[in-house]
Amino acid sequence: MPERTVSIASSVGLHARPASLFSQAAAKAGVPVTLTTKAGKSVNAASILGILSLGIGHGEEVTLKADGDGADAALDSLVELLSTDLDKE
Amino acid sequence: MADTALTSLLAEDSILLDRTAVDRFDAVRQSGAALVAAGAVDASYVDAMIQRENTVSTFVGEGVAIPHGTLAGKEAVKRDALVVLRFPDGVDWEGNTVYVTVGIAAAGGGHIALLSQLAEILLDPEKAEQLRTATSREQVYALLTPDEDED
Repeated sequence: MPERTVSIASSVGLHARPASLFSQAAAKAGVPVTLTTKAGKSVNAASILGILSLGIGHGEEVTLKADGDGADAALDSLVELLSTDLDKE
Repeated sequence: MADTALTSLLAEDSILLDRTAVDRFDAVRQSGAALVAAGAVDASYVDAMIQRENTVSTFVGEGVAIPHGTLAGKEAVKRDALVVLRFPDGVDWEGNTVYVTVGIAAAGGGHIALLSQLAEILLDPEKAEQLRTATSREQVYALLTPDEDED
């Protein structure tokens, strides 16, 4: 299954605003995406509650996995999202 | 670093169970007013909450929204605090219905731990339902109290 590992660029971590943007993008990806922390906890990336419950901080590494048609493209664009400082307003 | 318990940041007066709002911004304003009344923030924080709501909706699923201020508003935060407002008739939130707003005031990174605890509670559909239909302050406190034996 295709996967990518990325460090969270958002300066205050994957909290409400960045988490919203990321989970909305994951929901629109067209393939199911899971996000797994280094500690091994996995959630559905499209679930904002799932993402928030992990309390992921700035610089933490997470692994994204997806399967099916378009999985690689979906992963690439989600990685780009997480590599951007989504807190910039 | 121990997580601050949600309940330690929630004053009894800050649990308001019978509210109505005309739209989500009204609900956000009321949440902001409750934070001001709790002495946690200056009035300007309410504007930061509106600004946040305009940028990205604070709806998180399970009939709950978590209005809070933008980073620019953190100067207005005097101390971390939560408020819980219940809207039994529901408030339209961009096509979703919100029954409970959990307003949050947190300086800097304090958000993350609070949101993480709250999200974990809401991931349990039974607890989310209990929060949406809560009729007493004790019920709300019990729901937000961390389970001692859980990981």
